Amino acid sequence: MAVAEVAVPSKVSSNESKNDGSVERQRIKTMLLIRRFEERTYQEYTKPGQKIGGFCHLYSGQEAISVGIASLFDKNRDYLINGYRCHGHSLALGMDPRAAMAELFGKATGCSKGKGGSMHFFDASVGNMGGHGIVGGHLPVALGFAFAQKYKKTGGFTICLFGDGAINQGTHNEALNLASLWKLPVIWMIENNGVAMGTEVARHSAETDLSKRGLGYNMPTANVDANDLDTFMAALAPAIERARKGEGPSYFSANTFRFRGHSMSDSMATYRTKEQQEAARLRDPITLYADRLMKKGLLNKEQYEAMEEEASNIIAKAVEQADADPQPPLEDRFKDILAETYPYQPK
Amino acid sequence: MPVLEFREALRAAMSEEMERDENVVLMGEEVAQYQGAYKVSKGMLEKFGPMRVLDTPISEAAFAGVGIGAAMVGMRPIVEFMSWSFTLVCLDQIMNNAANVRYMSGGQCKVPVVFRGGNGIAHQLGATHSHRVETIYTRIPGLIVVSPSTPYEAKGLLKSAIRCNDPVIFLESEKMLAEKGEVPDEDYTIPIGIAKVEREGKDVTVVSYGRPLSRVVRPAVEELIKLGFDPEVIDLRSLRPLDTDTIAKSIKKTHRCVIIDEDYGYCGIGDAILGKLHKLCFDDLDAPIERIASDEIPVPFNHYMEEAMMPSVGRIVDGVKEVCYRK
Repeated sequence: MAVAEVAVPSKVSSNESKNDGSVERQRIKTMLLIRRFEERTYQEYTKPGQKIGGFCHLYSGQEAISVGIASLFDKNRDYLINGYRCHGHSLALGMDPRAAMAELFGKATGCSKGKGGSMHFFDASVGNMGGHGIVGGHLPVALGFAFAQKYKKTGGFTICLFGDGAINQGTHNEALNLASLWKLPVIWMIENNGVAMGTEVARHSAETDLSKRGLGYNMPTANVDANDLDTFMAALAPAIERARKGEGPSYFSANTFRFRGHSMSDSMATYRTKEQQEAARLRDPITLYADRLMKKGLLNKEQYEAMEEEASNIIAKAVEQADADPQPPLEDRFKDILAETYPYQPK
Repeated sequence: MPVLEFREALRAAMSEEMERDENVVLMGEEVAQYQGAYKVSKGMLEKFGPMRVLDTPISEAAFAGVGIGAAMVGMRPIVEFMSWSFTLVCLDQIMNNAANVRYMSGGQCKVPVVFRGGNGIAHQLGATHSHRVETIYTRIPGLIVVSPSTPYEAKGLLKSAIRCNDPVIFLESEKMLAEKGEVPDEDYTIPIGIAKVEREGKDVTVVSYGRPLSRVVRPAVEELIKLGFDPEVIDLRSLRPLDTDTIAKSIKKTHRCVIIDEDYGYCGIGDAILGKLHKLCFDDLDAPIERIASDEIPVPFNHYMEEAMMPSVGRIVDGVKEVCYRK
């Protein structure tokens, strides 16, 4: 069976001709910020006196996906919706690390006022329509954003991220079909890190080439190396164009590797060998991209180290602030449930 | 005043609101080209076009999600379910996404979507198609649940539901769609969260809503009047929020109460209402509150068995006699 391919231009040309590398270095900076955020989150979660509760799923290793999307995303008209592994895309779309860390701490200053937690980072003002906790449950909601974009002719697109585990939910079939039937401007993207919690792709999907799980819906599907930021953006850009032009949805398996377990209690011992983990580190999306920029002369070692340090400082400050931030007043638990007051009489 | 069928009243509400606000759209199975599985949306495709009246595949989760997502970004979708029983396959969309997304985002989103369709036992459709979903949805914070009992209430409540900025569960009945009643032509709305005393009386407070009120409570009230009772009848109209004030005020006068619904007894909606009234009205009551509900069996196909499982005029009359200590 042939896999329909999204046309992939050799390079994304955006701003690069006249660029001194500042755009690219900013991407490195954002990836480093996400990595540092996640590694500090790991520390805060696991150290004595644990300040982060609940489930927590780290993004380390998958940064190129969020940063690549954010580079092509128009916050005034595009929407992003994700599953529960949602810290990375939120930071990439500009969430203040303090608001992100404070949410993990359950504080009033958190992005969702401490009511959502790790799995439910929201920043609707920039089109970040949330992390969502039920696997596959958010795919239908993505349809609604895209329907509104089409209805209002905004030229915007909706990108819906989900893990490889989500493709086996019924909503995956329903949402892909309706999106294509109605030619909605959606980009479906599996962040395929190869394992649904502890079940590898070969043990959960009858078809192991996950790009093929988007076949049968009359839309382009493709695999993309999502650890290589340039390759990833080059594959994504035409799908965005297609969506903006009203030509309908696309489907990607963005193939990557997470460096941490599924959640905090998972050491990956039951499904990943040490060798696999070491091999994956050789394709770390940050170093891959940084090395390329260095070869092109757009980045030097000192700049990289300074960015690492800056990220580290920003996150350290975010942790400090989040820690000092107030708990939400208990009476606030009754707020933000309904938009109207009742009895409700329309004006 | 014009006399409309229940379905025409619903159509009038939707059409008026669609004329009023271009963000209002209607979607669901067979709502457009087929003119509605129950003809509620008859003529609307022609009037509003295919971008505003949309046929969906049989994918409840997908199109419920369309309604929720579109509402989160500024539209006001009306999502028609052919039957509320079919929403068991998209409970996650309604209970998790519609009801929770505002809260989980710290108030960043509002979800002005209306989910509407036929609820309850609609005659010989068997157990899977006859669920009474009010108990499922009424218990969920973040949702609003209303159930009209006349064409007049249907139009006014649906217009309010469409303008409301919260997700509204709008419970109709396939068996009521041909019922007729006076419905004004003009724009009117009915408040959500206020019950209606549809008949004043002094002997007993009869509480019901929607289909059971229309099918069996009103005929039972006629019977009770013939027997010399003077019942006060309350149409709840909204199940969430529940207007306990109106019920309590009535019980203060009558000192007796019978609640009638077609849900199951145990953990049913009537239990929940009774639970709210028990403490509130304890000192005003001269008899325990009586509950009349359906038998606790899967809904049978057989016509006579199905009839027998539901509240009847006889059971309501008996219930009223019991709380009034009369034979």
